Order: sequence, then structure tokens, then C-alpha cells
Amino acid sequence: MEATTKQVERYAHGLRIARRVMARPELGAVAGLVLVFAIFSLVAGNRGFLTREGTLNYLEVAAQLGLVTVPVALLMIAGEFDLSVGAMVGASGVLLAILVTKYGWPLWAALLVTLGVAMLLGYINGYLVIRTGLPSFIITLGTMFVLRGATLGFTRLLTGVTVVSGVSAEVGSNSLVKAFTGTPWGVPASIFWWLIVTLAATWVLQRTPFGNWIFGSGGDPVAARNVGVPVARVKIALFMATSTSAALLAMIQVLRYGSADVLRGTSLEFQAIAASVIGGTLLTGGYGSAVGAALGALIFGMVSQGIFFTGINTDWFQVFLGAMLVGAVLFNRFVRRWAASEAH
Amino acid sequence: MGSQAIMEVDRVSKYFGSVTALQEVSMRVAAGEVMCLLGDNGAGKSTLIKILSGVHQPDEGRLLLDGQEVRLGSPRDALSKGIATVYQDLAVVPLMSITRNFFLGREPTKGFGPIRWFDFRYADRVAREELEKIGISIRDPSQPVGTLSGGERQSLAIARAIHFGARVLLLDEPTSALGVREAEIVLRYIVQARQRGVGIVFITHNVHHAYAVGDRFTILNRGRSMGTYTRREVDPAQLEAMMSGGEEMARVSAELERLRSLQQ
Amino acid sequence: MKKRKLYGILCLIAVLVLAGCGGGVSGTPSAISTTITSSTNTPASQPSTGKSRSNIRIVVVTHGTAADPFWSVVKRGVDDAAKEMGVKVEYRAPETFDMVKMSQLIDAAVASKPDGLVVSIPDADALRDSITKAVQAGIPVVSINSGADVSKQFGALVHIGQSEFEAGVGAGEQMKKAGVTSALCINHEVGNVGLDQRCDGFKKGLGGNVKVVGVEVSNPTDAQNKIKTAIAQNPGINGILTLGPLGSTPTLAALGSGGPNDKIKLATFDLSPDVLQAIADGKMLFAIDQQQYLQGYLPIVFLTKYAEYQVIPTGQVMTGPAFVTKENAARVIELSKQGIR
Repeated sequence: MEATTKQVERYAHGLRIARRVMARPELGAVAGLVLVFAIFSLVAGNRGFLTREGTLNYLEVAAQLGLVTVPVALLMIAGEFDLSVGAMVGASGVLLAILVTKYGWPLWAALLVTLGVAMLLGYINGYLVIRTGLPSFIITLGTMFVLRGATLGFTRLLTGVTVVSGVSAEVGSNSLVKAFTGTPWGVPASIFWWLIVTLAATWVLQRTPFGNWIFGSGGDPVAARNVGVPVARVKIALFMATSTSAALLAMIQVLRYGSADVLRGTSLEFQAIAASVIGGTLLTGGYGSAVGAALGALIFGMVSQGIFFTGINTDWFQVFLGAMLVGAVLFNRFVRRWAASEAH
Repeated sequence: MGSQAIMEVDRVSKYFGSVTALQEVSMRVAAGEVMCLLGDNGAGKSTLIKILSGVHQPDEGRLLLDGQEVRLGSPRDALSKGIATVYQDLAVVPLMSITRNFFLGREPTKGFGPIRWFDFRYADRVAREELEKIGISIRDPSQPVGTLSGGERQSLAIARAIHFGARVLLLDEPTSALGVREAEIVLRYIVQARQRGVGIVFITHNVHHAYAVGDRFTILNRGRSMGTYTRREVDPAQLEAMMSGGEEMARVSAELERLRSLQQ
Repeated sequence: MKKRKLYGILCLIAVLVLAGCGGGVSGTPSAISTTITSSTNTPASQPSTGKSRSNIRIVVVTHGTAADPFWSVVKRGVDDAAKEMGVKVEYRAPETFDMVKMSQLIDAAVASKPDGLVVSIPDADALRDSITKAVQAGIPVVSINSGADVSKQFGALVHIGQSEFEAGVGAGEQMKKAGVTSALCINHEVGNVGLDQRCDGFKKGLGGNVKVVGVEVSNPTDAQNKIKTAIAQNPGINGILTLGPLGSTPTLAALGSGGPNDKIKLATFDLSPDVLQAIADGKMLFAIDQQQYLQGYLPIVFLTKYAEYQVIPTGQVMTGPAFVTKENAARVIELSKQGIR
């Protein structure tokens, strides 16, 4: 009798742990990732997908998307959207490039100013959302257009072109540049930046009071405010984080490819949102994961580059992507419901 | 029970543009007492609670805490002075765990210097203990709070407020969205809280719930107070009549005044 | 619910595997297009050394967006050569003029270890890394269309295209002969160094006053209005040079609305059905044919021979400028309808 009860207890405990693991928002993304990797390895393994170059290729694409996706996911968990991140990439890029090429600024100064402007614009986004009470979807859609237009206007005004090149020649190749463009152990720097951002974000989200405030602000902002959570400050801080990550991506791209383009980052905002959703973040807020968002970006990268290794007609790329998105979200919901229903 | 009042509003009025939400309303609540605030929809109960909790400031009149006049600039301000509010639907965040909900806004931390992180060990333990105290036993405090029933959630919110040192508890229609059994759980806990010495303002439009736990009753009607009565002075039917206003109200109100003056 | 999910996933895998096995020719001009052309004829002679043709795989990465009719002629050249040589070719391009994406496409191509790589180089700085990596990996690289000045430096074996500057000079001289003294140069893809060189050459060849106007062509009505505005802001111009069909189409529309604009002489780079018709109708002086069909055709032939016998021309193979005027327009229109010019 003793033995059986112990066994049952252990089994129940194990089940509880299993259920806890299953209830995590990242599960959908992990399953999706395994599936995608399996498919591509099977179909394209010997065509370059499983080689070092092939792997670095899709990891780099994933990293560039992931840098922005993770902060966007955090903002979504807090209940808001930032549709202006793509425009922010374009704007920061040309700002940096123009300061360095046209005005001959030293790189460190140009980087600092670009960072500052990004944080300011993020603050403005947040302030407008809080002050007007309008949905952030609308506000940031507006700031997206304003920013794109301003970027185009100013760039043409100052340089006469919409692509600002010649950055590599101006900045040379010192250690500051290498921080963005280097390849330690052959791995592009952007991948390291992505890992750092993901680790920092998940630590803040899961292990600090601020992270608790993010969940609260998204889950129920009024309840949160009533117990003293500074919801407005949390949201503004996150808007600043998304803008800054966009600027960071722009810096990496401008220094790596030597030029800035006013159109860079087009549709990045939607890719980031989609990747966040694949990673388990709810569109309605209050639930999600930074690691999941990073995995979502990884899936995106793997799919968009992996498809070139298969030789499949890439017309089907969007079909596959859409199917993945819906499939991952359904899987996620199914798992969460099952985990929640077995509580008593 | 008539000890010194913890919290008092003295002839407060509040206007929103041309609308008069409250007109010269006075009310007191003492420690270890349940003051029921009654009134039909639109009577001004919500506005009064918002003034008591720091969301609004009165246009006229005073707010007193322990006999001293105070000004509550924000809900955080009120919270820091020991005034906690529990709203009807908006008390807890369903998608978050019990522990996270319990400590939302007041998370315990541990760490070195400026690097601090959420102390989950401590938080899980305390959350479980506090819930045990009000008779809710949970297996795992990190399970989503949505797995608790409605009544349990409201009780969690109240337990949370008391744990963090609330001296005055403002309950805005806590039972209005609950079924009979769930409402009972909450009412029982309100009595427990009263016994611990907390002063409670219990807003409701359900006279029976009010009468079950209330020591004194204030009726609001279209922004004005119709008077404050003790348990001995009124019965549920009279309360109901006064709440609805009109002739019935006038009649009952007059009769009670007469009775009172007789006793003097 | 669980079973349905599993079933759905299995179906998805099945679809993908089938799609992959299918291969075959895809003629749809899509955003990012990949074409696989498998060999249909067995070659007459098997080479004694080198690879057999059906095993040869070449990847083409260009900056040519799907919307640009110029590049579908290039792709036609690629497809024809692939068929005639009996080799496998994959054609890729980013959806918009995006150097980041193009660089990533080249990297992916390199990782798949093709027998040859064909690239256009519209931005040397951005693509330097990826192309040199390809050369270092031992992949034979041929550059086309743009980047003539950096081609050899990057390690490409040969460049096939048109010297943009010289072509611009030619255009200028022709317009000068026709009496133009003051002109606009309309750039529809700002950032493409090749186009800048065309305008520079034009300035030199014309000898007169030339103003460069940048126009975004994602929205044709918008482009048309911008051009009308530019004309209005520069009274006294009597000539306009556009640098491609994306620029010439809105300009034709802007000029065609009658009025004082009719006296402005128009010429363009590269062909399109409206351009050819305009020349035949006398609305346009001439068009410079880059003969981009050859920019698609020749690299495939060269790389096939290189894979077989390690032979390849060096330096630059000039595919243009060839001038299409009223005299030869008719014949060219015929070929244009077939997507060859």
C-alpha cells in the first residue's frame, strides 16, 4: 500500500512537471522548429543546408530578424504593438550613414547620436499611446508613415539620393566597427548580439519584478495599476526598447553592407509580430515568451533561406509560411488549454 | 464598535462638467467595522470609491485619515497610506500565476546591490500560506490564477490587500458577478477580515449581501446621501425601499427619522 | 484534436516532399523565383574530362526585381541557354532593391556549392564580402550587367555587360545630333551605380545642360506626376533621357498628354513594348539596347564550358550599346513580343 501510494505520488509529480513544461508558451515554437529542421534536413541536407556555411546563412537571417522580434514580443506581452520598427531601421540607418559620410563624424559619435534619436522616437511613441489612449496599432502606424516619409524627405534633401553609400571607406575597420561586423570563430557578430538580447530579455521577463509588471500591464492594466504597477512607465520603456533594437539592427546592417537605404526594414514589423506569435505570444497581450520569439525568428530564417537549398519553387514559400503560422498558433492554444484544464 | 474612525469623507462633492456625481456626502468607517455603501446604478457609489482610493480628488469637502485631513493624488498614493481597493472584475490578472498575482507591484527581491531579481521561493511559500489562511488550498502557486473560481479570486485579492498591510479595504461590488455559493465564500472572508481589525467599505446594490455582513449602511441616491443607519435601525426591506428612491423612499426615510428622534 | 493535428502535419510534409521531387520548369515571374531546368536532350558528345552536363548546376543571383521587364529578358536568356546546354540553373532575386537580401542570397548560393555563380553587382560595397567568399570557396564567378569596374578585383572570371558610361556618352552624342541642348536624366533606381554612370556619360556626350532627377517608380501615377513637375520646374529643356522601362513608361505618359511638352525629344535606355511602339510612332528618338538577353545567355554557356574544359574568355564582353531607331524598330518589336529583346 505504501509503495503504491509513493508510486502514484511520484507519477503525479512527474505529470505535473510534464504539464508545466507543456504549458510553456515556447512549446509551439520548439515543435515547429524541430519539424522545419527535419523537413529541410531530409530534402536539402546534402545540398548545403547542413553545412557550416548553410547553417550560418540562415542563422544570420534569423539573428537580424530576431534582434527586433524579441523586444517587439515583450511589448506585445505588455499589450501594445509597435508598427514603426521597420521605418526605424531605415531612418537610423540613413542617419548613421549621412553623419559618417556627408558630415564626416567619427563613428562613435554617430553611433551615440543614432542611439539617442532612436530612444527619443521610442519615447515619443510610448508617450503618444499613453497620452491619447488610442490603440498603439493606430499610433505606431501613423508614426511609421511619418518616419518613412521624413527619412525619404531628409535623405533626398541632404544627399540627393535614397541610398547612402561609402560608409566602409569612411569608417575603416577598427575594433568598434568589428563589434558590429566581426566574425569571431567565423560566426557573424549579429548572431551574438541576438543571443545577448534574447538572454537579457528572458531574464528580465521571467526573473525580475519589471518582468512581472510587463505581464501585469498586458494581462490587465487596470488591475495592475490598482496595485501600484507603473503601467505607463513600463510601456514607454518597452517602446524605447523596440526602437533601440531597430537602431541596433540598422547599425549592424549599415556597417556590414557599407550603405544605408531609406527602404530598409520594410515589412519588418509584421515579420516580427508573426515570429512573436509563432513563439507563443498572444496578440491580446499578457502572455508570451522572449525565447519563444527568438525561436519564431529562427523558424523564419530557416524557412526563408532553407527553401533555396531545396530547389523547390520558391513560389510556395509564402504558402508554407502561412501554414506554419496558423499551425503553430493552434498547437500552442491546444497545449495551453489542456494544461489549464487539468488544474484541479 | 464606535471607535475612532480610520477614514472619513466630510461633505464631499464631485462634478463632471455639468453633471453632479456627488453632493455633500459624508461617511465614516472605523477599524473592525463593515460600512455598506448602497444605492442603485448611477447613485454615485463608484465616484465615492474613486475618491476614497485616490483616483479622483473631491471638488468640495475633505478627506480625513485618522482624523487628519489628507489629499490622495493617485491610487499608488492611497495604497502607500494603507487604503487598498478591490474592484469587481479587475482584481487579478487571469493569465498570470497565483504567486505573480499575489505579489504584483510588491515583488520580493533578493540579490546583490543594484542587481535584484524576483524571489520566487519566498513568494511561492507566502502565497500558499496566505491562501491556506482563508481556506483555499492550492497544490501549486505557480498555476495560472484562472484556475481558481471567481469567489476564490476575489478572496485572493482581499487576502493580498490585507497581507500588505491595508487598514482600509474598499470593495467595489465584489459579489455582484458571482453565483450564490461563490458570493458566500467572499462574504465569509469579509467577516474574517473585519475580525482582523480592518475597516471595510463594502459597495453593493444587493441588499441581502449587505445585510449579511454590514454593521452600518449608507444609502446614496442620485449623488446625495440618504443617511447612515445601523443594523438595529433598519431591516433589508427598508434598505431596499430607500435605495429605489421616490415615494417609498421618502416615506421610509421619514419614519426612520421619527423613530430615531423618539429614542433620543 | 491531437489526431487531426498529426494528420495535418503529415499532409504538409507530403505536399512539400512532392513539390520538391517535382522540379520542372517554372515560368511564372514571381517575387523570389527559382527556376530548375532539367536536361531534356542528351548532349551529342560526352567530354572526356570535367563534369557531364546534366550534373552541372549554376546559380544566378541578380538585383532584378520581378516588376522590371528588363530582367525578364535576361531570365529568358538564362532559360534558353540552360535548355540548349542541358544544365540546371536556379535564378534568384530579392523582392525589392535590397542589398542585404541579395547578399544573403549569394551566401546561400555559395553554401550550396554550385558549379558556377552568376551575379550582378549594383553595389560593390555591400556585395564585396559575399562575392569574395564565393571566389575563395573555389566557385567560378561571372558578373553581369553592373559592377564592371570591380568585377576583376572581386575575382570574377569575366564581366558581361555594357559599359554604362560609354553608353551614356553615346546617348548624349545622338541627342546632340538631334538638336537637344538642355535635358533631364530620369533615374528610376537611385543607388544603382550603373545608372549614375549612364547619366554621367550622358552629360559628357551631350555637352549641354543636364539635370538628374530621381524618381520612385513603385507607384506609376506618382512617378508620372513627379516627372510632369520636373518638366514644369525646368522650362527650356528640350530633351529627356530615361534609364529603363520603369522610367520611360511614366515619362511617355507624362509627355503624351499634349501641349508644350510635345517639343521635348525623348530617348531611353533599354527596351519595352511601349518604348518600341513609341519609336515606331515617332514619339521617341531612339532606345539603347543593352541586349540583355546575352547577359543571361552567355554566362551560362561560358560557365558550362568552364566546368567541362576550364576555358573562359577574360576581361569584359560588351553586349551594348546597340541603337534601336525608327528604321529597325519593326523587327525588334517582333522579337520583343517573344521576350527576346
